[in-house]
Amino acid sequence: MEAFRQEIIVGAVVVYMVFCVVTGLWAMRRTHNSSDFFIAGRGLGPIVVALALFSSTLSGFGFVGGPGLVYSIGVSSFWMVVISSTGYAIGFFLVAKRIRMIAELRDCISLPDVVAARYGSQAVRFMIAITIVLGVMGYLATQILAMAVVMQAILSGTEMFANIGLVTCVVISSAVLIFYCVTGGIIASVYTDVVQGAIMIVAGTLILFTAMNVFDGGMQEATSIILADDGEAAMPYGAAGIMASLGWFFVFGLGLAGQPHLITKMMMNKNMSDNRTILPMSLFGYVMAALLWISIGIVMRAAVIDGVVPPLALPDDAASVFLSVFANPLLAGVVFAGLFAAIMSTSDAFLNIGTAAIIHDIPKAIRGKSVENELFWARVVTVILAIVAASFALYSHFQDATLVAILGAFGWGTFAASIFPVVAVGLNWKGATVAGAVTAISAALLINFVSQLAGFTFPYGVSGQLVAFVASMVLFIGVSLVTKKPVLDSDIDRMMDI
Amino acid sequence: MRSKLIYIIFAVGVLMAAILLAIILAENVPNSGGVAHPDLPGLQIGGDGAARMENIGTLGLAFHFLLLVQIVLLSVLGISERYRSIELLACMGGSLALMLLVAWQMYSGHQQFLETGETDYFLGFPTATAWATYGTWLAAIPHVVIYTWGFRKYIYTPEDQQKYEALLKEKSKRSEQ
Repeated sequence: MEAFRQEIIVGAVVVYMVFCVVTGLWAMRRTHNSSDFFIAGRGLGPIVVALALFSSTLSGFGFVGGPGLVYSIGVSSFWMVVISSTGYAIGFFLVAKRIRMIAELRDCISLPDVVAARYGSQAVRFMIAITIVLGVMGYLATQILAMAVVMQAILSGTEMFANIGLVTCVVISSAVLIFYCVTGGIIASVYTDVVQGAIMIVAGTLILFTAMNVFDGGMQEATSIILADDGEAAMPYGAAGIMASLGWFFVFGLGLAGQPHLITKMMMNKNMSDNRTILPMSLFGYVMAALLWISIGIVMRAAVIDGVVPPLALPDDAASVFLSVFANPLLAGVVFAGLFAAIMSTSDAFLNIGTAAIIHDIPKAIRGKSVENELFWARVVTVILAIVAASFALYSHFQDATLVAILGAFGWGTFAASIFPVVAVGLNWKGATVAGAVTAISAALLINFVSQLAGFTFPYGVSGQLVAFVASMVLFIGVSLVTKKPVLDSDIDRMMDI
Repeated sequence: MRSKLIYIIFAVGVLMAAILLAIILAENVPNSGGVAHPDLPGLQIGGDGAARMENIGTLGLAFHFLLLVQIVLLSVLGISERYRSIELLACMGGSLALMLLVAWQMYSGHQQFLETGETDYFLGFPTATAWATYGTWLAAIPHVVIYTWGFRKYIYTPEDQQKYEALLKEKSKRSEQ
């Protein structure tokens, strides 16, 4: 079996991609209008929503960057993972019920729609839509590049595709993504998410068992090796220190309820009462899949310190080196399929919300109505958005990394800081005002953008994202308290009493 | 007090901002955010943990505690005011107590390690790290349980359902007209 390692991995990835294409064709027959395309007609069952929610949370970063971070800085990056139970709980307490109600009450198909209904303001809709579009470009570009780099690494290990180029890999992987997103919209996206989520759970569980057997003394021997080399790296705050760790707790924990690609999925369930089962199911899936993040990172750091494996060229190589050195070829095949699943499940969610922002929200904010024939334009813009993001990715890779780095500033932390107060707090507090929302979004964008662009670092591992999030929360509530209490539309006012 | 919840959330937010400012302005120590491993490229080490914690350890712990308080306050904000009963607040208080206990155990365990250089292990990790890894994960489970089991009592009661369905009926009547 070892002799066919590359063929097995390629086979697993091909089977997964064929599944995505078939799902796209199946979903096309169920997509009749823009509501189907963007929010699946609010008709999804709890298992589908739960798996879609967690698989969209864990992007390619969770399968590549996450283990790389644990390898690089030790336990510090655990904090991005262990807050998941808190993060999901907060998301459901604050957002799940109200966003689902407001979506049905006002026929909302996007997050900016919800915000416009809550605040009665096109300015807030426009600012959220622009934030989403910028974030989508950054996220998509990095995800497409990651997908192509992994595909190139896999295919170049075979005789037939030994010299395959990165551009070809971008074209192949983007084509599959575009195909099922364009044909089936969010319906294809969430049903592929179900399988993607299942693959990720299996991959995470199997990897944990493999990792525990790398050292004779199991995980304890691995952490002992790390502790002997540097006490801090194996202690609760890791090499990056207490404030870096708590910053991730804040931004990844509370911030989960500010991620547009996740909370949009809370609008899609058929029955409100399903939320009570969606929360524990999503959390369970995330925890199982995230075992990969922690176990690979710890074992690879210990293996390199112990001299079992030579130092990695890049921390992000941790997962792929682990799979090639320690994993059975079949398991490697499942995990690589899981990696593509993780990347694609996040990418399709971003393509969907980005398209909604461009054809629905920005026109509505500017001229008061959306484009004619939304479904047709949704499909066209999905293709264009993916092509532009792929071009950004290639330009960044070959010419100048600055562009994607700038757009990358509009990532998780920016979404968390600009969207959490306005949506998660604003949907539960009638006193939130337009001025508070505009101030919070502006401050979040400004602080994140300036700190990223200027490369400004705070002492003790405090991140610009943490500063932006704390500032936007305080400004949102503070400005709302000192500005005139808004008069809400009657239906929104009554909905917020429920 | 229950209707003043947003003021408490605001006050906690301001306190957190003040602590963050105090940490940023505190006297910095070398490599406070980690430093490159001397022998292995790509790895970072924390180095002298005691020195890193000396100036900001207490402030960091206070920030952690306030963050946990804020999480519970925000969760309560997500529940309609009329359902914020003593029973619910007691459940939330219990959940907060558990989270604070876990935070204290990891902090004090870390301090103990810095003083002695020794640690026990629990399920593969040094004890303080095990509190962070398993404890942080599990300490929020009561929150999940409150949401799931208390869904029809606190989150979306039969009465809420009736009110919401009435709203939807009014909406459909309006659109028919």
